[in-house]
Formats: sequence, C-alpha cells, structure tokens
Amino acid sequence: MALNVSPAPAARLTTTGRLMRSARREPGLVLSLVLLLLLLLVALFPQLFTPVSPLDVAIDQAMLPPSPEHWFGTDDVGRDVFARVIHGTRVTLSICAGSLLISALVGGAVGLVSGYFGGWFDQVLGRIVDVLLSFPPIILGMIITGVLGPHVGNLILALSIVYMPVFFRIARAGALGEVGKTYVEAARSVGIRERTILRRHVTRNVMPLLLTQYIILFPMILQIQAALGFLGLGVQPPTPDWGAILEQGKDYILFAPWMSVFPGLAILVAALALMLLGRAVQKRMDQR
Amino acid sequence: MGSYLLKRLAASLLTALLASILVFLLVRMVPGDVVAQMMGQAGGENAAAALREFFGLDQPIYMQYLAWITHVLQGDLGVSWTRGIPVATMVGQAFLVTLEIALLTLFIATVIGVPLGILAGIYENRPLDTAIQSFNIIGLSAPVFWVGLMLLVGVSATFSWSPPLRFVTPDRSLADNLAILALPIASLGLLQAAAYSQFVRQNVVSAMSQEYVRTAIAKGVPVRGIFFKHILRNVMIPIITFMGLILIQILGGTVIIESLFALPGLGRLLLAAIETRDYPVLQGALLVVVVAAMVVNLLVDLTYRLIDPRVRVS
Amino acid sequence: MRHLDRSRLRGLARALVGATMLGAMALTPALAQEVSLYGPAAENAVSGGRLNMGLLLEPPGLDPFHQAADARIRLTVLVYQGLFYEAANGTAAPLLAESYEVSEDGLVYTIKLRQGVTFHNGKTMTAEDVAYSYNYIRNPDNGSPGAGDFSMVENVEVVDANTVRFVLSARNSSLPMTLGNKYGGVVPAGTFDDETAKNRINSESVGTGPFKLVEFVPNSHVTLERHEGYWEAGMPYLDGIDFSILPNSASMLVALRNQRVDLVALSRPQDVQQVAGVPGLTVERWPSLAQTAIDLGSELKPLDDVRVRQAISLAVDKAEITRAAVGEYGTVLGTMTAGMQEAWGLPLDQVPMQGPDRDKAKALLAEAGYPDGFNLTLTTINGFDWMDPASVTLKEQLNEVGINLDIQRVDLGVWVNNFRSSQMGFTFNDWASQPDPNLLFYRHFHAKPDGADFRNWNNAEASALLDEGRAEPDPAVRKDIYNRYQMVMAESVPTIMLYSPDHVTVRSDKVQNFVQHPTGWYFGLARTFLAK
Repeated sequence: MALNVSPAPAARLTTTGRLMRSARREPGLVLSLVLLLLLLLVALFPQLFTPVSPLDVAIDQAMLPPSPEHWFGTDDVGRDVFARVIHGTRVTLSICAGSLLISALVGGAVGLVSGYFGGWFDQVLGRIVDVLLSFPPIILGMIITGVLGPHVGNLILALSIVYMPVFFRIARAGALGEVGKTYVEAARSVGIRERTILRRHVTRNVMPLLLTQYIILFPMILQIQAALGFLGLGVQPPTPDWGAILEQGKDYILFAPWMSVFPGLAILVAALALMLLGRAVQKRMDQR
Repeated sequence: MGSYLLKRLAASLLTALLASILVFLLVRMVPGDVVAQMMGQAGGENAAAALREFFGLDQPIYMQYLAWITHVLQGDLGVSWTRGIPVATMVGQAFLVTLEIALLTLFIATVIGVPLGILAGIYENRPLDTAIQSFNIIGLSAPVFWVGLMLLVGVSATFSWSPPLRFVTPDRSLADNLAILALPIASLGLLQAAAYSQFVRQNVVSAMSQEYVRTAIAKGVPVRGIFFKHILRNVMIPIITFMGLILIQILGGTVIIESLFALPGLGRLLLAAIETRDYPVLQGALLVVVVAAMVVNLLVDLTYRLIDPRVRVS
Repeated sequence: MRHLDRSRLRGLARALVGATMLGAMALTPALAQEVSLYGPAAENAVSGGRLNMGLLLEPPGLDPFHQAADARIRLTVLVYQGLFYEAANGTAAPLLAESYEVSEDGLVYTIKLRQGVTFHNGKTMTAEDVAYSYNYIRNPDNGSPGAGDFSMVENVEVVDANTVRFVLSARNSSLPMTLGNKYGGVVPAGTFDDETAKNRINSESVGTGPFKLVEFVPNSHVTLERHEGYWEAGMPYLDGIDFSILPNSASMLVALRNQRVDLVALSRPQDVQQVAGVPGLTVERWPSLAQTAIDLGSELKPLDDVRVRQAISLAVDKAEITRAAVGEYGTVLGTMTAGMQEAWGLPLDQVPMQGPDRDKAKALLAEAGYPDGFNLTLTTINGFDWMDPASVTLKEQLNEVGINLDIQRVDLGVWVNNFRSSQMGFTFNDWASQPDPNLLFYRHFHAKPDGADFRNWNNAEASALLDEGRAEPDPAVRKDIYNRYQMVMAESVPTIMLYSPDHVTVRSDKVQNFVQHPTGWYFGLARTFLAK
C-alpha cells in the first residue's frame, strides 16, 4: 500500500523541481511562455482587459495624452489607444498566424510531394521557388499587396506567398532525406503504397522541422505585416491592427507620440516572446 | 571551379529571365494604368486612347513583353512614362543610394555585431552573454520603421537637429551625405547588428564545444590562443556567408526606411512607381533588385568555395 | 479638439492673427475689376535669394499638356502661362493676353496678345505659338486630359502677329477662365512635333513663366530658377526655388521645426498643432476652392433610388465629419465650395435635404423599402488622411439610421479607374476646380456624352440648366441659373459636398509676401521675397 502511495508525491515533487530547474536554466523560455499566455488571453478575451470599444469615436476627446482614464492616450478621433492596441492583438496575431499556417500547409505539402516523387514536377517547382526566393520578402509582399489592392484577404494571400518557398524547401529536403532511408524501402518491399508511405511515415518525420520553422518565422512575418501596415497596404480602417495604428499615429508623432509608441511596443513585445520561444525550440531540435 | 561557375551563372540567368516574366505580369496586374493616373478626374476617352497607343498599352501582353525584354537584353531599360527620363538613369541613381545605405549598414552591423557575437560566444551563459543576447533579441524584435521614427523624433527633440532634406551624393559632400544617412543607417544597423551578433555567437558556441577545444581549455591553454588558432578560422566562413544574407535583408529593409527618411533609393522608387503605375520604372527597378540579390548569393557561394577547401574538392 | 492643451491653442490663435481669414475674400463674377496678377506686389520687396519649399506630394511629372495631377499644376503655374490668370476673386484677368473682344453671337473671341514676351529659350512669343499651343491641346489625338475642357473650341486662328481668334461651336461664358493655367500654356510652335518632347519637358521647360525648370530629380527635388527674360519688369523677386519632396508629414514637420524648409503648404490642417507656437514660424490659413464629398453612384443598388440618397444626405452630419477630419480648419459646405460660396453659392439656409434629420431619413428609407436599413460599402483612398477619421465618423452616423457601412480603402490608381469608368459606387472624393461654376459642375454632372457624368446621375433637368448656365453671358442671370441647378442637385443627391479644407501654410519669418491662391496652386511664389 505504502509503496503505491509514495511515488505520486515524489513524482510531483520532481516535476515541480524539474520545472523550477529548467526555469532557472532557461529564463528566456519562461518569459516567453508567460508573455505568450498573456497575449493569447488578450487575443481571445479582449473584453477582460478593457470595457472600451476600439471603434468608439469621440471627437471632443481627440489626442489626449495618457492618463488614468486612457492608459495609452487617445487618437486623432478620440478613440482609446489602449483599447485599440488590446483589440488589435487578435487582428494582428490571427492574420500572421493564419498566413503562416497557409504557407506551411501549402508549401509543406507541395514540398513533400515534390521531394518524394521528384521528376519534372519537382524541377518546375524548384524553378518557381527560386524565382520567388530571388525577391527580398518585404518587396515581394509589397508588390503583391500593391497589385491586389489593400484588403485583409489580399494581405493574407501576400503574406502566405512570401514564406511559402521556405517551407517548400524544408519539406522537400526532408522528404529527399527520408526517401533513401531503409524504412521506406522496407515499406515498399512489403507492398505499402507510395501515398501511404508518404502520408504515414515521411510526413511524420518532416513535421517537427516544419513546426520549428513555423515558430522561427512567426516574428519575422509579424514584422513584415507591420511594415506593410505602415506603408498603408495592410488592414483597413477602422479595424484596429498594430501596424495600421502605428501608420495612423506616425503623422502625429510630434504632438501625440503615444499614438505610435504603444502599438510599436506591442509589436516589439509579441516579436520578442515569439523569438524567445523559437530559440528554445530550435535548441531542443539541435540537441536531438 | 570553372564549370561550376558556368553552371551557376546559367541557372541564375534562367531564374532572372523567369523573374522578369513574373515581374512583367505582376506589374500589369496592378489595376488602373498610367493613363488613368495622368488623366485623373479629367479628360475624355479619345485622349486616353491616344495616350495608351503612345505607351504601347494597346498591344497584346506577350508582344509588350517581347518588346521590353529585347530592349533589356540590349541593355536598354526604356524611358519612364511619367518623367521621360531613361529608366537606367533613374534606377542607376537610386541603386547607388540604396547600395551606399546597404554597405554602410553592413559595415556598422559587422563592426558592432561580430565582436559582440564573439564575446557572447566565448562567455557563454555568463552575465555578459546574457546582456548581449538581450540586446540581440530586442534589436531583432523592434520594427525597424518604428525605431527610425523614434530616433528621428528623439534626436530632433534633444538636439533640435534633423537630417538635411536634399540627398547629396558622397562625392559632392561627404559630410552632408553622412548627415543625411546617419539616422537611417543607425536604425537599420542596430537591427542587423543584433542579427549578426546572434548568428556569430551561435557559431562560436558550437566551435567552442568541439572536443579538441574543450580538451585544450581543460589542459590550461589560454583561451585567447585557442580562439585565434582554431575558433576564428572555423567561424570565418559562416561570418562571410552571413554577410550576404544580411545584405539581402538590408535591401528589403531599406524600402521602409527610405520612405520614412525620404531617401531617393530603390525602395522609394519602387513605391512611387507602383503609385503612378510607371511600368518601365517598376519593371526596371524590380529586375535590378532581383539581379542584385542573385549576384550577392553567387558571390557568397564563390567565396565560400574559395575559403573552404573541403567544398572545393567535392 | 476642444480638449486640446489651452496654451497651445492660444499660441495658435496668436499665430493666426494677421492671416487672411475665411470669408475675407469674395469671388464676385464682376468683369471690369483691376486685379493684380499672382498676388499683391510688395513695396518693400528685395530681390535675390533662394527659397526652400517642402512638398508633401511629389508631382508625377511636369508636363502641363499630358499630366492632370494637381501636384503638377501647383508647380507648373510658375513655369507655363496661359492667356488668362484665374484671379482669386473669380475673374479671368488677362495674362499673356492683353485684351479681348467677343462677337455679338458670343462665338468668336478676338484676343490681343501681350508684346515682349519671351520663352525660356530666348525666343519671342508670337500669335503663331499661341494658336499652335491651343490647337494642340484641344485635339483629342494628342492625349491631353485637358482636351475635354476645350471641346467647344472649333479653331484657333492667327489674325496677325499679335492677335489670335478663338472660334467656338457654342456660347461659353467661361472661355477666358478655361484659357487659364490648369492645362497647357503657351509653348513655341512645333514643340511636340518631336516625339521626344513629351519626355524632355520634365527636364527642360519651354514656357514663358517667371521661373524656368533647372532640375527635376524624382523622389528628391525640383529646382526652379528665375527667368531672366520675364516680361513683368523686376519680377520675380526670388533667384530660385528649391522644392524638396518629403512624402511623410512627420518628417516634414520635424524639418520645419529645424528650419530645413522655409515654407510648406500642409496637406492636413490639423498638423498645425505640431508647429504652432514654434518661434520663427508663422501659420496662415486661406480659403479654398477644394471640396471633400461623398459621391453616390447610381449604378450601385440601392443608390439608384432617390429616396435612399436623400436619406443618406439627411443622416449625414457634415459639421461633425468636418470636425473629425480637419478640426476647425474647414468650412462646412452646402452645394458650393467655400471660395465660391459668396459669388455663386445657393444660400446655405435654402439648401434642401441637409442633415442631420434622422427621423426623416428613417422614414424615407422605410418608404423606399428598407425599414431595417441595408449594408453599404464606402470606398476611401489610400494616402488621403482625412478619409480615415471621416469614414469612421460617417459609419457611426449612418448606423443611426440603420445603414451598416463597410469601409474599403483602395489605391488611388484603382479608385481613378473606377471613377473614370463611372463605377465609383459609394465613395469619398476630394477635388477642386477653377473659380467658375461651369468648370466646377459641367464635366462631373452633365449627362453623357457631353459631360462625363461619373455618378451615373443622368438628370435631364440638371443637364439643361448646366447648358443654359454655360451659354449665358450676363453674370446675374447666370447666378440665378446655377442656383436653380444647385437646388436640383441638393434634392436629388448625386453627391454630398462636405467641407472645403482651408489651405494652411507654415512659413519661416524671413519668407515675405506669399499669398496662397484658393486653387492650392503656388501662384503666390511669383511675388514672394526673402527678408534680408
């Protein structure tokens, strides 16, 4: 009996102990997780953080400096900047996460197939990817949104095209590496269909690579999204989006610096949290 | 080596050609053409048609492409539709500005980033490393245009100084030129120094963790000796490779910074050309960006092969 | 804006003392009134020095014949000259013309030319050059956006070396104003025979104006230099003007405060707050011929129903939108721009369908079959700062009557395309014209094919009034015709004119005698001098 009881608290202790130890060893990861949790809460439940609507216009309250009523001040039409930044969290992060997910899914899937089966299909795709990669990412994003016009859908499309080649290459290289391995040949020899091998085994082995890349690219796509917003090619008013709030605030920088300082800080904090997470994940991948 | 170079060049040329088609198509997908821009809310359809004919916009798109690429291959990028200046002149001038920004930024990034990275790597997990890493992470997280904006306003408020308005080339006045470029380069350089330092640190750390280095340190060989003898040599190659990557990054970053600081570089030229639908300029500028990025990649590849004997053999 | 820092506002008020105020100017259609070209001559003027002017908008080109952009006109009025000058008071004053006579039937204008006028290339201007220039621009095959304005001109003939004759196909009382400085100008005969001339004109000027072009470097600057052979004795005062192009208003304001530029016309009046009270800078505001408007294209359902359009007009609170967009730096409009209200406008208390009257708006919507409102998309244009706060405010106002507004921001290129193909839908607009009601209304609102009718309004009564107004020579009768037109326009709501944004200029104290013309064009620089 006693034997059955005692391991549980001991295990709990070691788990807590391990957590504490790794927290001390990797304060960056802990900071990152805390910040990400906060960002997630803000994105999911913005109403918990501010009762004010980010869209409520009050002309007679325009450009008030930060105060207890308006923590981040108000903008040129009297909207609460704190409310806009809080509500902008969901807009900005979901656009970035969504676009990056699209590029990971499409780029990853096409890359896997291309690498696994090879042939002319692979050759042609390789060329296209080379062409896309020959543009600096921001310029590619700028041209695509410029071409399609500033609209959320187009922004997502542009952002997902920008990093699609990166996922393609990683998935392709991963698939190429797996093709030669014995388990694939073994599976073939027992008559498992190619499609099944690709789906069941190769994909599973390449997945962690894609996931790591997803986390690494997240802060970068955040920067590009903000830059496009800054150029007026991003989210449309009055929807609050960090880059768009900044773009609006930049013209008032001398008179109302709070309009641009706080959304900039929000981008910085989010990018920081994601980057710390990316580093921790990559460290683990390297160790494996 | 020779045959490799030829193969790489051929591949790059093919990519450039494909990129030019993509550029051409993308540019023509932009809704609203230059004629609509020139006409604004005025003008009749006859006048618009006359202008379209003048610009060759009434031709089928593949004919337009063939005409354009034939001229490009002969070294003629055409004439700007809105300004009447040869595109080569416009793009050339703008490219020199961007190139200067990029090289100066690269210089700053290297001078700051590499020593910081080496220090952080050598003192891994010590307070100095933590401090440098914090700088890196924050530098990498801050949006570059936001840093630029804060710098501009901060400097103006503190010193009542702002950069001169008219861009001056360094051959006309180096002092004025640097005064104009100081803030943009500072904001871009900070970011890239962080990226560089982060990258160098990783390489130093992995070089330090190699068996023979650890043995040497354990035997009491001074770190400085090991560093210059073994680590630096191992780290040199990635440092040079990364320079190319950074250069391409900077090329993208200047787009934003040029429009904030009103510098007449490629980025601003591109934005203006999108706005006015000046196809020849847009095509020419994009082509130059793509080719420049390719040349950098090729150079990196070649240096890599020259320095690292193992790659040369294989 | 009420809650702005009071000391700042006081500073602003001080800065504005002495500046020309709104309403100080009446644009009367009087004929025989002596006007000073370009602005008042200064008594204490000193010659010499170069002016640094900041430009927020870069001219896409400097070709007055083929480029319609307002940013182009602002500069080229200093370089090229037409036969008349569109004086701020609404008269067309002879510029390169000396005098003119109109035939009994109103179809032949005989214009005597000013003598001793030389081009920038040193050649003397003759009747030959004048006839060439106007025949070139009116020919649609030559691709000028201004061609439409000259469609009633049948021919321009040389009478003798100093006289030309304009032959019209229909009476047109605004011909002299049309021969102003917006499009074209007089250039040497045969200028465009050379295919490369269209390109060269961006690097070398061929006009008669007080300044000639030295250099135009894209994304950087435009340099003008005084025209030594200019026909007005002793003019201009400045040796040259350096326009620096800074597309970013934050950077521009920083540059102003640090004296990198001497003079800027701000594109957003509320930027004044950021430079008000800065020692050494003077802020001035001037009335404007520009207008911001909500356009309602009838091709978009349910805007084809006049009751729906009226309901929207009644739901709009123009004053609130104005306050949101430009604070106190704008004049709320009825059916006429601020600069022309006194001379040509329907008195504001007589304009029908003005809001806010939400109950009436709701009633009209119910009558039209939309008791619960409907969804509508408003198009705004990237880069027009006022549209963002204005669209947010409009969204709230329309929401009150049950209309749910989506806001779609598009690039200028896209917008212009939609506009020109009469597919504008429900959109904000921002435009201006010379101080003449015919030039303001005809092209925009007359039914096709004579007008462009961008809003698919297709209103026969309005078109008839526009035709009548254009032909009528007597100013008083003309005013009555245009008042009737404005009644029709306000009742049927193809457009809702919101406000005229004041022109706001900021100058350093050494810049003297600069007057901002209500068109927004920089005529005033021809009379500006720098204090020693």
